[in-house]
Amino acid sequence: MANAIIARPQRWDAPFGPEMADDDVNRLLKLPEFSNIDSDSFPKHTPLDGIIRNDSRIVKYQPGDIIVREGDYGNSAFLVISGNLRVVIAPSLPRNLIGRQASKKKNFFEALSQLWTNHTMPEVRDTSRYGSQALREGNIRGESDARVFLQDIPSVLDKHNTAQLGPSSLFGELAALGRVPRTASIFSEDEAELLEIRWQGLRELRKYDPDWRKTIDERYRENALKVHLKSSPYFKGLSQEELNEVADATLFESHGSFEWHVSYKRMRDQGKSDKEPIIARQGEYPDGLLMIRAGFARVTIKMGNGERTLTYLGAGDSFGHDELWSSHLGNDVSLETSLKAVGYVDLLRVPAPILEKYVFNKDQYSKSRPLHQLATHAVAQDAPLEWAVEQRFINGTKAMLIDLNRCVRCDDCVRACASTHGGNPRFIRHGRTFDHWMVANACMHCADPVCMIGCPTGAIHRSLETGAVVINDDTCIGCGTCANSCPYNNIRLVDIRNADGKLLRDPENQKPITKATKCDLCETNPGGPACVRACPHDALKRVDFQGDETFGAAIS
Amino acid sequence: MNAIVIRYTLMLAAATAGLVALGVYSHLAETSLQRSEFVTGYALFGLILLLAMFNARKKLPMLPLIRSAYWLAAHVVGGIAAIALFFIHTGSIWPTGAYEQALAIVFYLVSLSGIFGYVVQRIYPRRLVQTDLEIIFERIPGELAEIREEAELEIHECTKETGSDTLARHYIETLSWYFRRPRFFLNSAFGGDAGNHWLRNQYRSVDRYLNEVERSYLNRIANLAGMKSKIDVHYACQSVMKGWLLLHLPLAAGLLGLMFWHIIVVNVYAI
Repeated sequence: MANAIIARPQRWDAPFGPEMADDDVNRLLKLPEFSNIDSDSFPKHTPLDGIIRNDSRIVKYQPGDIIVREGDYGNSAFLVISGNLRVVIAPSLPRNLIGRQASKKKNFFEALSQLWTNHTMPEVRDTSRYGSQALREGNIRGESDARVFLQDIPSVLDKHNTAQLGPSSLFGELAALGRVPRTASIFSEDEAELLEIRWQGLRELRKYDPDWRKTIDERYRENALKVHLKSSPYFKGLSQEELNEVADATLFESHGSFEWHVSYKRMRDQGKSDKEPIIARQGEYPDGLLMIRAGFARVTIKMGNGERTLTYLGAGDSFGHDELWSSHLGNDVSLETSLKAVGYVDLLRVPAPILEKYVFNKDQYSKSRPLHQLATHAVAQDAPLEWAVEQRFINGTKAMLIDLNRCVRCDDCVRACASTHGGNPRFIRHGRTFDHWMVANACMHCADPVCMIGCPTGAIHRSLETGAVVINDDTCIGCGTCANSCPYNNIRLVDIRNADGKLLRDPENQKPITKATKCDLCETNPGGPACVRACPHDALKRVDFQGDETFGAAIS
Repeated sequence: MNAIVIRYTLMLAAATAGLVALGVYSHLAETSLQRSEFVTGYALFGLILLLAMFNARKKLPMLPLIRSAYWLAAHVVGGIAAIALFFIHTGSIWPTGAYEQALAIVFYLVSLSGIFGYVVQRIYPRRLVQTDLEIIFERIPGELAEIREEAELEIHECTKETGSDTLARHYIETLSWYFRRPRFFLNSAFGGDAGNHWLRNQYRSVDRYLNEVERSYLNRIANLAGMKSKIDVHYACQSVMKGWLLLHLPLAAGLLGLMFWHIIVVNVYAI
């Protein structure tokens, strides 16, 4: 049978924005940030103009438009082409101004009133609330998007300490490369034109141009690295000078794909495992301590014809210290285990000589239990861990774990969820199973919430009160970005209704108005998640996969 | 000892202490020629009201009430205590008087249905896990329809490819009965494997008439039938786990009504 033929997919098949005109590319290449770049230093398959054309887009903002919000996750950095922006230093902008909701717990009677106030039809909304949020259509060269804007800029400037960002300012690169939340909100003070560069383009610019590398690395060292090193137990008690020396010597690297959820979902649908780039290989020489800043990595050891997972590491964990310590004692050693990126990993590599100087020679250094000793566990004992890593459930901090040996399928949990969420449950009592454990399709409130990347209005955000990932229904525009990003299919778009129970439609195209919905851990209801409280058989738990203690305790 | 065992042990201890106290009181009252039935009767009435409140708790999940798991523990232990208290109150297994006998019948039925439900809910979940399949009850008809369609597609393909109608005939005559709806309900509910036994017999009876190509189709149909057999187990077990409440709840409501009338009658005529 003849094979079907298609062109091999190329990196820039899907550019960041709508196709950029040659004039735009030429204009951007004349900006000082790009005109000084030696375009010959870029490889032929990734030319500079290609990066600008495909990995960036021009975005225009009107006065008051919020460009980035404090606490948001993002995968792009911004370069100001023209206009002025304001970065809010202190105090932070109130939540209602940036499109989020302040969660207020219902009192006993408000909670009880849901008995008679819940509409007989699901997903009924008080549509009068929707006009109160300042939302307007954005302008990304022909693409429609929506954005939250500040209606009263002078008042914001009066009440908040802000700093101006003018043309040629670059911001957002740390959040884009380090997969950490944005540290400040930035809005447009007047009409502004920005170049938004997605993380892939930023990575290439850093890789091939020394000036971009210097700028990004210096900021990274100054703003993120030292903070991270300071919080590490290895470098506790170092003076500022010593810390500076450690920071200067530290290398930072990222492994895996920022958009790991895309390939993960694809591979999962095909019943295959996602690719996991190797960060450190068993048997190789350990040249430095690997400290994980963000994301997850799997520690494996060769076993038969496969790789056995011993544990997984998350932010704050480190890898390689046992071997480095052994090497310090004069032994000839190689890495006992391998480290693989599970999704996206951002890590720091502290060179061995630095450890020799500042860590191993300190009296108080205490050696931890080597990771490879975990291989003494029975294979069956580690099977749940292997499964949790394989399914990427390690991302969950409040995953809904159901013990199917106790669950009588009564659906009390589902009904409780529906009763507390206007008649429609926010999860499905169905999901991946291992032995008699099921991780149900309920939001896991991930440590790495990829759903929050790309929300145009910031409607999906982390609650300041509980850390839960919640959606502000007032500012959700139903674009589905979060639902498409969620690797576990735990966000659903629902058609909403007005107080009369009638489906709401867009007058222009008659399409139903949709909103994204998901488990919010009953943030506004007194008593915590209703599903857990409603289970009569102790079958349902919310577990944290971070560190195997909680997951391990739950299933033991 | 895990938290659940501790919870039940403590509640059982409290219930036993209460029953012993009421038993001693009842005995002392009898020996001093006093009537203990009012105290034990109202205690039983209060206990049954408490048991009935579990259902009300389920209707109020939005309130920060005690977790349902504690309510269930209290319901189970309280239910057992209610049986003992019933005997203390009536002084026999079978009371005298037609109305009281009717009350006793309903009480026993509520108790038996409750015990049945509890036992079923302890046994069936593990059996469902052992099927290595998880399915939501409401999706079962849809899943069965899908399996049936796939099986019929295989039969069509087989006929088209081989030109033989042997398998199609066997499907129409016999196998279609199995694929049409959940089968072997009682056997599945009692933990039997009659469905698979029946299927094996049907495969054997037609196998001798098939060539290799047809046999490969039969194998694929057997896989679909195997899946359907697991769904049948889910259907039976989940039906029973849901269905017993349809007996328990109306009987409990009836018991409450009979109890109220019993209290009115006793207060009007016995005092």
